[in-house]
Amino acid sequence: MNMVVPPARALLEQDLAAPVLRCGEIEKRWRHVATCWPHVVFGVAAPPRSNSPCEYSFRFECSGYRQIPVTAQPWNIEANQPLPGGLWPKGGPIVSSIFRPEWRQGQCLYLPCDRLSIEGHPNWRNEHPSRLWQPKRGIVCYLEQLYDLFNQSDY
Amino acid sequence: MSNVLIFIQAHDKAEILETEISALATVGELHDALEVLGINVGADSFIFVDEVEEHENKERLEPLRHVKHGSRIHVSRCKCIPTTVNFLDRSEVREFPPGTRVRSVKGWAAHVFDMDPKDSAEHVLQLCNSTDRPPTDTPLHQLIHGHNCALCFDLVPEKRVEG
Repeated sequence: MNMVVPPARALLEQDLAAPVLRCGEIEKRWRHVATCWPHVVFGVAAPPRSNSPCEYSFRFECSGYRQIPVTAQPWNIEANQPLPGGLWPKGGPIVSSIFRPEWRQGQCLYLPCDRLSIEGHPNWRNEHPSRLWQPKRGIVCYLEQLYDLFNQSDY
Repeated sequence: MSNVLIFIQAHDKAEILETEISALATVGELHDALEVLGINVGADSFIFVDEVEEHENKERLEPLRHVKHGSRIHVSRCKCIPTTVNFLDRSEVREFPPGTRVRSVKGWAAHVFDMDPKDSAEHVLQLCNSTDRPPTDTPLHQLIHGHNCALCFDLVPEKRVEG
């Protein structure tokens, strides 16, 4: 009997194989770690810094992909559980405004492209248009923001 | 000789494409591979590899000079992209090759505007007369529309996410 793949899952799988995402992997900006629908785990490269990892992992919840934004939380790959708040990325005013373990019990990042965080923040559509979820681009728009936060912002 | 994977970004295509070519491929073999993907390299187009300054030769029998595994191949109508960056009351202009990424332009701008690393980290490049802040990985020629080859950015403070 054929299993019917939900459209959201089919779209995610299509995007995981897309050149734009594979290009980022070959350039070592991020790497796809695992998929267990509706979750997908990615590692995102961070610049070397004492007492900090060279990569942070995130688990994305992708129900309704791509029309509905994903939501992501920092993830401990080895333990397969959320990363404790004390180990979340730290940085200057920009980075610390986004990695807030106290926000929604650490279930998501305080980013306009995040499904849970955009709820109740209609002002973000005007204030942060370049940080919004882009249904045509999918998960790569979230990954690009994370990579730039670590490598081009005040991490 | 083994093949190498290459990613292609062409002036009239929004998405990145990929293919494989021989590690010793000639210009003509690259043109043929691009044609299979629907990209015609006309007399008015130039091929650049990654962020290399000079474009690849146009002679079909010439070997490719800069391609390696994972290279980005840029097919652009522009031979160079004069790029203006505005910061406060100052403006600076420099010509960049089409494959130059936004992060390299920001690095140059931070240098010419004497910004320290902390200041630089708290600023981003925004396309002039827009709210568009392209990912820093974006090559400049992907931001060009129409036949104009020039770009303009404002170097603006990044805002904290609040509210």
